Amino acid sequence: MNPLLICTGLTMRFGGLTALDNLYLEAREGEVLGLVGPNGSGKTTLFNVLTGIYRPSAGKITFAGENITSGTPQEIHRRGIARTFQRSRLCLDLSVFDNIMIGNHTALRLDFFHNILRRRAFCRDYELWRDKAAEMLRALNPSLVSRMFRPVGDLSMIDRRRVENSRALVRRPRHPRLHDPSAGMTHDETRQLMDEITASRMGGDRLTVILIEHEMEVIRRSTSHCVVLNFGRKLCEGDYAGVVADPRVQEAYLGKELE
Amino acid sequence: MSRAAAIFSGPLGCILPAFLLLAWSGFFLTAEDQTSILLSLLSLAGFLLAAVRLGWVNILREAIAVQERLWDACLITIMLALMILFREDHYNLFLLGTIMAYATAVLGLNVQLGYAGVLNFSCASFFGVGGYTAALLLSGTDLPPLLALPLGGAVAALTGCVLLLPVLRTSGHYAALVTMAFALLFRVFLDVSEWFGGPQGIPVAPLTIAGLDFSQGILWGDAEFSFYLKYDLLLLLVLCLAYSITRRLERSWIGLALDAVRSDEVASACFGIHIRRWKITAFTLGNFLSGLAGALYAMMLAYISPANFTFADSLLFLSILLLGGIGNIQGVLVATVLVVIVPEKFQVIQEYRYLIYSALVLLMIVFRPVGLLPRKPRAYTGSPA
Ligand SMILES: Nc1ncnc2c1ncn2[C@@H]1O[C@H](COP(=O)(O)OP(=O)(O)O)[C@@H](O)[C@H]1O
Ligand SMILES: [Mg+2]
Repeated sequence: MNPLLICTGLTMRFGGLTALDNLYLEAREGEVLGLVGPNGSGKTTLFNVLTGIYRPSAGKITFAGENITSGTPQEIHRRGIARTFQRSRLCLDLSVFDNIMIGNHTALRLDFFHNILRRRAFCRDYELWRDKAAEMLRALNPSLVSRMFRPVGDLSMIDRRRVENSRALVRRPRHPRLHDPSAGMTHDETRQLMDEITASRMGGDRLTVILIEHEMEVIRRSTSHCVVLNFGRKLCEGDYAGVVADPRVQEAYLGKELE
Repeated sequence: MSRAAAIFSGPLGCILPAFLLLAWSGFFLTAEDQTSILLSLLSLAGFLLAAVRLGWVNILREAIAVQERLWDACLITIMLALMILFREDHYNLFLLGTIMAYATAVLGLNVQLGYAGVLNFSCASFFGVGGYTAALLLSGTDLPPLLALPLGGAVAALTGCVLLLPVLRTSGHYAALVTMAFALLFRVFLDVSEWFGGPQGIPVAPLTIAGLDFSQGILWGDAEFSFYLKYDLLLLLVLCLAYSITRRLERSWIGLALDAVRSDEVASACFGIHIRRWKITAFTLGNFLSGLAGALYAMMLAYISPANFTFADSLLFLSILLLGGIGNIQGVLVATVLVVIVPEKFQVIQEYRYLIYSALVLLMIVFRPVGLLPRKPRAYTGSPA
């Protein structure tokens, strides 16, 4: 299978600091790629470069055969790349439904005529999306359906993550769904959330997912292939067993043994 | 639910408060001596505190939410009743007109700051751009005078675009700085410009629609009603339109996009939301409303000068929005009424009004940053889900 996403020579410098250093990475269609590495190794930066938040200092990103290197976040989203954020960037004062519809923005009718003047048509349109969002939420946690119009700020951390997941999924992105979860949940919750992510892939189209996770157990269960980053460079890659057995990975995580 | 609560969740829950509101405003606006004014203010404050403590405010908000049309009708009836009550009273009709013009402008500000998060420190200047546009169009051209209203709005909107477009690419508080500079320069510009009448200002010709001259009183049998009545009726129409548009805007995908832009630009961009496009849309629409209100207000005043549209006035508009509850259009109405009529009637504080507003805004920010009536989560179809 051809790789869906390819980064070549990807470099991102912040002043004197090189957060990504000549990185080569590929993600194959339909796989769950685990991205691991110690804190500060450049995982989040990679997501930010992939989604157009940062413009890379050098290198090239190809997605589905097209060069997306200097695309704006909006252009990149339109090609079907959706993401979640390390510190879940939900709009806490907006309702659960509102947050999911933000992910659906590009499917919504945004002209004044439809939104302001033709209210009847708008309401029908709204009811369709409301039912769709309710259906997504019901599959994750039925109690979220009744709280669909409450502010996201009222929800527990795992429910917020679920909302964030739904926001990334609602547009049925073609690809790499990029996940950067972790913070603020217990181990059990993290595991549960990952199962939901993998389950959501089973529904017909096999989404490609790039997953950042610190829990090695989660990586073992959820991913088919892993890439280990260290200081913005690829340390090694392979399946889970191969990667954890690699002495360089152990060294990066645990530090070099004193001789 | 207790029996009382059950009764007040029905039509009575809207009609009774509306009636009380009408009775109070009628009394307050007719009160002459300062003691009865003070007493009525204190009784209002006491009543409101009790209403908050006893949960009446929530009952009212529930009743309004499920019977929105009835409440709208109640509010319009209150305004009409006050106009009829003061049909020969220039001063009070002028006050009502001022309230409605200001409220329309602040609704515009609410679209900008409350929804899209674009800070505008020159709302009064855009209000003034509308006013001066109307003045020049009416004196210098043969256009139908009614056209001066949308044109006043359009020139204000266009001015806003010219100001904001260059700073849209930058992130941070440049919009705030640019509008602040505009508010200050606008005054100076008017002061030195002969074309705009300089510091003395210029007269504004009255509105005429199909031969109906708005500067003439209305003859009704033996009585002559104030000419302000005509302006008030038109202002009421404009306010209703502005209110309805902002409300529909909030309850739409556009309102959602604006909120998304305000709360998190980066996340919004990652879901395909064009930040600049929505900011400029909100800014333009808001300035259109301010300019439109300003044009009509100028005609009602019949004479405008730079002193009507100062930076302090812009801050006044902002403080109305802060007091009412940013993003809540009902709050805008309540706060405009209070901010306009209280110092007008209660002469003692007239001189210290800006001091009092600043203190109020500070207290608000510290103790109740969400404003008097905080905004509720969006209900797309009106009734709460
Ligand atoms: N906007 C930025 N400006 C400066 N330095 C940054 C910025 N973003 C990330 N970095 C730096 O880049 C490095 C990689 O960070 P990050 O991608 O967040 O790592 P990870 O997600 O793997 O923990 C860190 O040293 C971090 O301080
Ligand atoms: Mg990170």
